Amino acid sequence: MRKRCLAFILVTLLLTMGIAGCGSSSEDEKNSANDGNTTVTADEDKTLRLAIGSDIVSMDAHRTTNDYLVPMNVFDTLFSIIKDENGNTEIVNSLVDSYEISEDGLKYDFRLKDGIVFSDGTPLKASDVKFTFERILTLPESAQTDFVIAIDGARELLDGKAEELTGVTVADDLNFTITLAEPFAGFLSQLAAPSTVIYSEKLVTEAGDDFGNVPEKTIGTGPYIVKEWNRGSGLVFEVNPLYWEQEPSAKRVEVSVMESQAMNMAFQKGDIDIIDCLRLDSAVVDSTYKTEAYKDRLVSVDRVGLNYFTLNEKIEPLNNVKVRHAIQLAIDRESILNSIYGGDGKLEDGIYPSGCIGYSDENQGWLKYDPEAAKDLLKKAGYADGFDMEIAVDSSANGAVNSTVEIIAQNLSDIAIKADIKTMDHASWLDLRNSGDMPSFMALWLLDINDPDNIVYTFFGSRENTVIRSNNYPDSEVISRVAAARAIVDEEERMEEYAALEKKLVEEDAVWVPMFSLKHLYVKGERVESFTPHWAGWSDVYFTGVTLK
Amino acid sequence: MAWFAKRLLGILLVLLEIMFLIFIMLRVIPGDPASVLLNEHVSPAAIEKLTVSMGLDKSLSEQFIDYLKDALRGDFGLSYYLHKNVGELIYEAFPYTARLACMAAVFAWSFGIVSGIVSVMYHDRILDYLFRGLSLLGISVPIFMVAMFLQYLIYYRLGMLPLNFNGSFVSLLLPAVALGWDSAGSVARITRSQLMEQMGEPYIDTAKAKGLYFSRAVLRHALRNAILPVITVMALQLSGMLSGAVITESIFGVPGIGRLALTAIQTRDMPLLQGTVLFSAFLIAVGNLLADLINSILDPRRGLK
Amino acid sequence: MNNIKSLIKNRSVFIPAAIIIFIVLLAIIAPFVTGYDETGQNLLSRLMPPGNGHIFGTDELGRDVFTRMLYGTRVSLSIALIPTLAALAAGTLLGIIAAYFGGWQDFLIMRMADIMLSIPGMLLAMVVLYTFGGSLLSVYIAIVLIEWGSIARVVNETSSVILENDYVLAAKSMGVRGVMIVLRHILPNLVPTLIVLFTINIPSSILSESALSFLGIGIQPPKVSLGLMAGASKEFLFQMPWLSLAPAGMIMLLSLSFNFLGDALRELLDPKRREV
Repeated sequence: MRKRCLAFILVTLLLTMGIAGCGSSSEDEKNSANDGNTTVTADEDKTLRLAIGSDIVSMDAHRTTNDYLVPMNVFDTLFSIIKDENGNTEIVNSLVDSYEISEDGLKYDFRLKDGIVFSDGTPLKASDVKFTFERILTLPESAQTDFVIAIDGARELLDGKAEELTGVTVADDLNFTITLAEPFAGFLSQLAAPSTVIYSEKLVTEAGDDFGNVPEKTIGTGPYIVKEWNRGSGLVFEVNPLYWEQEPSAKRVEVSVMESQAMNMAFQKGDIDIIDCLRLDSAVVDSTYKTEAYKDRLVSVDRVGLNYFTLNEKIEPLNNVKVRHAIQLAIDRESILNSIYGGDGKLEDGIYPSGCIGYSDENQGWLKYDPEAAKDLLKKAGYADGFDMEIAVDSSANGAVNSTVEIIAQNLSDIAIKADIKTMDHASWLDLRNSGDMPSFMALWLLDINDPDNIVYTFFGSRENTVIRSNNYPDSEVISRVAAARAIVDEEERMEEYAALEKKLVEEDAVWVPMFSLKHLYVKGERVESFTPHWAGWSDVYFTGVTLK
Repeated sequence: MAWFAKRLLGILLVLLEIMFLIFIMLRVIPGDPASVLLNEHVSPAAIEKLTVSMGLDKSLSEQFIDYLKDALRGDFGLSYYLHKNVGELIYEAFPYTARLACMAAVFAWSFGIVSGIVSVMYHDRILDYLFRGLSLLGISVPIFMVAMFLQYLIYYRLGMLPLNFNGSFVSLLLPAVALGWDSAGSVARITRSQLMEQMGEPYIDTAKAKGLYFSRAVLRHALRNAILPVITVMALQLSGMLSGAVITESIFGVPGIGRLALTAIQTRDMPLLQGTVLFSAFLIAVGNLLADLINSILDPRRGLK
Repeated sequence: MNNIKSLIKNRSVFIPAAIIIFIVLLAIIAPFVTGYDETGQNLLSRLMPPGNGHIFGTDELGRDVFTRMLYGTRVSLSIALIPTLAALAAGTLLGIIAAYFGGWQDFLIMRMADIMLSIPGMLLAMVVLYTFGGSLLSVYIAIVLIEWGSIARVVNETSSVILENDYVLAAKSMGVRGVMIVLRHILPNLVPTLIVLFTINIPSSILSESALSFLGIGIQPPKVSLGLMAGASKEFLFQMPWLSLAPAGMIMLLSLSFNFLGDALRELLDPKRREV
């Protein structure tokens, strides 16, 4: 009996070790390889360590609208955007060597730079561009169709009525022509967005389902290659030896997934090199980083994006313009900005945020916090005793959004509107919003491309869009004006129209409460010499923008 | 043998029932997976296209039969969100969870049994109270508090161990302690109570009368008789830890099964959630089977029920 | 009467019971204990350290942490009682029905219990919360679903044994109604087991809620719960530790007291020990 018992315990122990051993064997190899690397001090010195809040979902730009880390660093776009000291953005050539636009604004002739290869040596060809754009339109789960829909024949291909993208014609290995369905001034900006990075037809076809999933099969022309992707835990990048431009400063980049408090600890201990202050509460940023010790290490960029509070015109009594105006007046945006966001931003009164082309000073400054005026308006609208409404909150949104909404609810209760905060999970939230039935919500639109069309069309460009954004803006004349504005060839005239639309939509019709645009603060660690964030203040960064000491 | 076959059949049946139950539960909930995938850049046409491509436009019964057919062939579908075969994802994630759970179990069991024995040897003295207090603390403190406290103390204050999982052995130590914490408490408690019961039995007095040292008496006789329920609990704990390390894995960034399940739930990824729940249920069933087997080997009188 | 007196005299019962009663009273009279509102914001006094009229300081919206902790305690206490009792009632009823009738009732009920017990509690709760959305009611449902199975199984086993006793068989053959047999013979014998199960389940229910709310899928703001407070304050863990310490300390105090009480009651009620 005793022997058997002992034997059994031994067996169990062995089994345990066995399982542990099995699980770790392959990992250990990997680690010993890593260890090998870390012993070389030169490599260690040139390793950039970053942290992100949640893991990326896919490395494939066509299958995500959130995770541009890999598209931005492993792939290249035809054009790219740079920002000068004055904060103005400029579109410069990237993969494209030269281009010409026809007078009617419909035909674009492009020539690619010669000699560019993917990181495995496969040369980049003009046909790859056509393949990439066709894939954006034909992939069932494609999330990027908006970015190439302006091309002639794109609609037909998307709807399955055509076999190929007729608007793109390939002349030879380097030259190709894109024809648009109608003139669209924002087209080059679209070609500079990470959504339209260029893939290799050969490599993507060979990789099949592994493309975007398996690091070795996800190959681009960009400055880095993905070395490892451990789902839920992080990614490792290394420089692409075949990169066509100057070699970046960081030779290896380790990106780990961390909770915000862990990120903060890791940064303080020097285990990560740059911390994204948007991940932290502004009180923590204020007390820890806006101090003498860190003053010179703060990096700030204006986020080209608008935080807005939507009012659904389908819902009684939000369909009453006086009520909507009252709500605009009742929300104390300045207090929210100062308390929740540490004052790092500026109030916005329109649709196009600061830094966006088409931003109009004339449409700013009219909206002031005035609860008394709001009460009067409510009385005039026949709601002197207030009413009940709902604000929907996505439970995956960060703490600042939750706090903001709680303050909005408090502000509304000051003018006798009882706002009930309904928190729901991300999926239900999206579902409700897409159905057009969400009464009100607070969200942020960050510009993908620097063009007013990118934001105004998304929210008010078609009947469908007004439903899916749950604003249900009813004025079909204005909606068709928004849609038509993108095709105005004369740039000055186009901007005037956008300004007029902004005035009509926000100031007259009170479609939403424009809140503010924010600064994006980062703190760089001691090892970082310089750091240039994304021009629009995205959380995803170009590793090439970092120079290590 | 017949017993074994019957048990296996039982496991299979439970798995099938769970499959059905989860399928129904997950299919009736709000939250369209297609709209989650498309997130901010949505249009009705895109949603419809995606819905068809995921087979979500078919009727519920059709969907279930499709799923069942594929499952019988070992194919648990493609994760909506991660675009990867669910089986493959679980296969990749399980080694991490297995390593974590085994380390947690080693910590929990050694700590639990030792403190249980110490408690009995020093019955009603300071050490007993200390270990009893510790084990009560073990089962009374939420895992996330333990985890965050460990990160703060061991990483931030003392700088002894890494903050997050990075693939290395040492980076698993903190999560293992956090995960094993409450199990350690319950092992300690059950060891103590079992031993205490044995200590009241006459044979211990006989042993003492024969002049055996107290500690030897405890270890030799009482422990042998007391260990049975302890081992049963331990087997159940292991399968529980293998399948339910959601919080620990998400705090320490361990890319295991629990993390996968949380992702699945946050993204309405039905095939993935179904896969992880089924897999966990399978582990638990195997754990139960093991516990029964251990029982019957250690105590043949009881036999197999 | 004697029993109650001896219970009070027993220190290991009295101390945790006194702590629990104190917390319960505090939670009940919460509005009179503090001058603050649990949702009342004051953006000018965000994240204030303890002192200045705020015993545990203020949170990221300038709300009084002590007040919120008291209201969160109400939620935790309701979770300690309502779903735990519901699970106990459901488990007992179903367990007895299965044991009494046997046959297909037994098969069906115990199969359901097996299924529930085969899914890890945390995963089961997560599935439930995503089916019904995060709210207090869903947390109740999740906890009942997690707990009823094991209760039903224990009750089923215990009452099957009782049902085979000669006096029960005799009563049956004399035509005593089923309800009477259950009331007279089964339930009284189950009471100690049920009390033990109850005391085990209370702290685990409290911990389950806090874990779910911590993950952000349990109780949702602006409602308040201890787990939610601990989860929301994790960002400030080492700059402003009072934010986490108050709710976390309360969770710990509650579950420790219930565990202690449970231990003591078990020792008193365990029939084996009574014989000795």
